[in-house]
Amino acid sequence: MKQFISDLKKYWYFAIYSAKTDLKAEVANSYLNWIWWVLEPFLNMIVYTFVFKNLFPSDKSFPVFIYSGLMFWNFFNRTIGYSVKLVRANKEIVTKVYVPKFILLIGNMFLNAFKMLVGLVILIPLIIIYKVQITWTALMIIPLFLILFVFSFGCGTILLHFGVFVDDLSYAVGILLNMLMFLSGVFYDLQTGLPEGYGTFIGTFNPVACIIDGLHQVLLNGVLPNMPVLGIWTVISIIMSVIGIRIIYKYENSYVKVI
Amino acid sequence: MAEKALIIDDICINYRNIRHMSIHQSILKKDEVEGPDIYEAVKHVSFDVEKGEILGIIGRNGSGKSTMLRAIAGIFRPDTGKIDTLGHRISLMSIGVGFKPDITGRENIMTSGMLLGFKPEYIKERMPEIVEFSELGEFIDKPVRTYSSGMYSKLSFSITAIMDPDVMLVDEVLSVGDVSFREKSFNKMQELINDADRTVLIVSHDLSTLSNMCNRVLWLHDGEMKMIGETNEVLEKYKEFMKQ
Repeated sequence: MKQFISDLKKYWYFAIYSAKTDLKAEVANSYLNWIWWVLEPFLNMIVYTFVFKNLFPSDKSFPVFIYSGLMFWNFFNRTIGYSVKLVRANKEIVTKVYVPKFILLIGNMFLNAFKMLVGLVILIPLIIIYKVQITWTALMIIPLFLILFVFSFGCGTILLHFGVFVDDLSYAVGILLNMLMFLSGVFYDLQTGLPEGYGTFIGTFNPVACIIDGLHQVLLNGVLPNMPVLGIWTVISIIMSVIGIRIIYKYENSYVKVI
Repeated sequence: MAEKALIIDDICINYRNIRHMSIHQSILKKDEVEGPDIYEAVKHVSFDVEKGEILGIIGRNGSGKSTMLRAIAGIFRPDTGKIDTLGHRISLMSIGVGFKPDITGRENIMTSGMLLGFKPEYIKERMPEIVEFSELGEFIDKPVRTYSSGMYSKLSFSITAIMDPDVMLVDEVLSVGDVSFREKSFNKMQELINDADRTVLIVSHDLSTLSNMCNRVLWLHDGEMKMIGETNEVLEKYKEFMKQ
């Protein structure tokens, strides 16, 4: 763990700088550049609103509901999707110089977090248009995001390790992520949208659903999220991160030889 | 006794043939995959390098030279044995440091510099020098994927050459770029090497370069240390051996 902290300090600038340059490169390589980061969730929101509005009874602020959930979901989705192929994607660097592999993951997470923040450009107008009453509970979004960050990091470090050795893991993870999206309450309200019992079940055993539901609660209903469950998942996430970091330190030696 | 810069103590590096596998393979054919298919790239090599020394490394293709340099650079740890760098800053100069293809040359200088353990301010300070030395002109602000292979190697050479590491590991880069750049990089190498404090390990097949530059030469053969000693003595034996 000591090594983790000293490496984090040592490579901190690198993580931030590489997130910045990757962003710039992405902008330079597409025509609509940063507008994509807003447009993609925005168009998705419109599609989902059309499809799910009649399926799940909900109030008028449904677009806010979906858009905010998608912002969190996309962060998780991108981080996990990237972590599986991380070592191979950074082959050029990994084979030429030593870098703790989780630093590359953190750099990518900064990038995703920034893209998520760009989404506020749409979210804030939506909140105003749909006259959502914001209360002080909205501040809980920050700790909620932190939990999501740690959970994603934990999953990411572990998947990063197996992604090196198992070629087709990225397909499997892609499908799992797709399934998970439908089980995470992005489109429906966990409390009211599902038959009795299912919502509580998903909200307890799926941390992403728990966090996204928490987000919806604090943003739209002014109600605090399910604290005990969140607390337990925070502890689990931290444990997963520690395990992930241990695995990486132990085996990163052999990554270069495999790719 | 002079100060040591590097201590290599009985290192072995194995390539286990795990390679990639698919989920299908890892579940269904477990026993097939886990056969003890081990290839020993470096076997029980140990030597010391003194501060300021220039050590040449020779050997046939596939005799473990590059693998050993990569282990010394810290890209992977040896399977057994110890490499003690005594806190020196080490950088591996090989064809193409880790560049990200989509970001510009300038940004790549920053990222590689940081990966080598330098502070951002320091890299910014040296930036003009690197850009000038690389002769890339306006291409320095273009994405690296647009570079020709010559430009690519010029940039990577410039970064390591200007950044001033304590220990330099040089893997076959002396034949980089066009004639004029080659001359320039050769002179720069000489200049770097002449700095009495710098320790250099050079892998090369060019025996005349080695005999000009090195104090000592290490000869690797099939991962084993065949000989280490006076430059000319080792080179003579090596030449004889290769003729057979």
